[in-house]
Amino acid sequence: MNKLKMTKEDLVVNTIAIVLGLFVLIITLYPFYLCLLRSFNEGQDAATGNLFFLPRKFTLMNYYIVLSDNALIRSFAVTILRTVIGTLSGLFFTSMVSYGLSKKNLLFRKGYSYMALITMYFSGGLIPGYLLLRNLHLLNNFLVYIIPGLFSYYYALLIIAFYRELPDEIEESAKIDGAGDFYIFVRIIFPLSKPVLATIALFLGVNHWNDWFTSAYYISDQKLWTMPTILMRVLSGVEGLNKINEMKGSVSGMNMGTLNSSSSVTLESIRYATLVVTVLPIILVYPFLQKYFVKGMLVGSIKA
Amino acid sequence: MDNSLVKKFRNQIQLQLMTLPGILFLAIFSYIPMAGILIAFKDYNIGSGFFGSSWAGLKYFRDMFSDPMFMQSAGNTLILSLYNIVIGFPIPIILALILNEIPGRNLKKIIQTSAYLPYFISFVIVASMWITFLDPKGFVNDFLMMTGIIHEPIEFWTEPKYYRMLSTLVNVWKSAGYNAIIYLAAIAGINQEMYEAAYVDGAGRMRRIFNITLPNMSGVISIMFILGIGGLVRGSLDTSVLLGSPFNSSVSYVVEYYTLDMGLNLGRYSFATAVSLFQSVLSLILVFGTNWLTGKINGNKII
Repeated sequence: MNKLKMTKEDLVVNTIAIVLGLFVLIITLYPFYLCLLRSFNEGQDAATGNLFFLPRKFTLMNYYIVLSDNALIRSFAVTILRTVIGTLSGLFFTSMVSYGLSKKNLLFRKGYSYMALITMYFSGGLIPGYLLLRNLHLLNNFLVYIIPGLFSYYYALLIIAFYRELPDEIEESAKIDGAGDFYIFVRIIFPLSKPVLATIALFLGVNHWNDWFTSAYYISDQKLWTMPTILMRVLSGVEGLNKINEMKGSVSGMNMGTLNSSSSVTLESIRYATLVVTVLPIILVYPFLQKYFVKGMLVGSIKA
Repeated sequence: MDNSLVKKFRNQIQLQLMTLPGILFLAIFSYIPMAGILIAFKDYNIGSGFFGSSWAGLKYFRDMFSDPMFMQSAGNTLILSLYNIVIGFPIPIILALILNEIPGRNLKKIIQTSAYLPYFISFVIVASMWITFLDPKGFVNDFLMMTGIIHEPIEFWTEPKYYRMLSTLVNVWKSAGYNAIIYLAAIAGINQEMYEAAYVDGAGRMRRIFNITLPNMSGVISIMFILGIGGLVRGSLDTSVLLGSPFNSSVSYVVEYYTLDMGLNLGRYSFATAVSLFQSVLSLILVFGTNWLTGKINGNKII
């Protein structure tokens, strides 16, 4: 609407909106900045307080200790592996099944769809799910990260809606050239559906990256633990303290020269460095992916 | 038998082979666990398996109500959910209204984008951030002491009286931005001519917010409310496990955590399944009940 004249009320409302908006901005972003700030400051110095804006005693020691912790680095690798494999396989599997379901002439389509729809509202819950994984020998197995997440009807609905919008001519001309359905899907449809796939990849990827429950309860071998689960240990009270002493010990064992500087490290400063290391990947990819996620959210909410 | 059906099926065999793995997946990972709920009525143990275990009737449901730990966790769940609805429900709506009134596209976009960000961070990280910030030696106490508001650090997490409010606020911090998206979409869908007509008739900004924007959001608000009420008997496992501690378990322990403890930690599978079945049924009743009620009141139904 074109503003002919700013009334006094407009001015007041604008000001209040901007002030509240900036408040939201600060409340959201400052905690992240604080982690960054304190992770680069000496722990014992930070404990004296009054550290809110700029580092006072700059150090890389916190990162040095965090990044020399083998358990954390390994969990980082496991998490990346799990996120990449889980996202790609889930994406391919879900969109392949969706392609079949999007075809109006598919025999038994109604039956399949109802069967899938029910799973959106009812589930067996924690214990039957656990017993199933147990019987399938998926407990304590890397595949427990991948297989149960291969398909979700919620994402399938988003993909089906997208496929329905594609012009039929593309497939028809490929059919005339003698291409089979699977070939058409892999070579033509899958590459064409990048926008919707990006949205779903974002959701899948974030879920894989952030999930702490699976490895905390379904995996007993610590070598297969993902980062959030290791973090739970590092960041929780007593266990965290032991863990940090262990980290410090391994560093000072390697190099006597760092012994002095590592003693200025505190539980807090290590926590902050760990937080930064784990949040950073999300913050780095977030600006590129957030537009897809808003789009996907809206499609999803219209469907629901 | 039906030759044309077989022929048709054979003609689309590739399509069927692409769809059936998904159906098989659902049969295994959704339908088998659904059938597995029956162990709530059985004396299930791993050794004798599902079919070998004998029926127990409603024994585990009776046990549940005589366990004070269950009653406590049920009470906590209800209270925490009420906090989440009373505080957590209006905030995304208000946030969407604020964002909508911010002049200038860029500023609005920056604030909006940042507000979604915490949703993408693992609850493990969000929880430990706020546990660290609100530590007696953390920055919040530091700040409050520096400004002279308090003189002794506050034990935010070890004093049970703060837990309900704090856990609610941490949840709001994490997801209010994300939850505002759906309201922003509702606002974006409002016909601009209504605003112009109101403007011509001399309605000011506040009048337009209360007489056009809000009424046009009421459909979405009702839907979200119905869904929210269904969640009343559902607690958040993330919140309870990650923000809770032995110090505040008298207020932070929810039914989900109880189920987890009973089932996975103690191996009382039938009992734990009975608890979560009871909870799901209650949740469904609440959703349908609220749905019926809002349908009566303002004609908005979702089911």
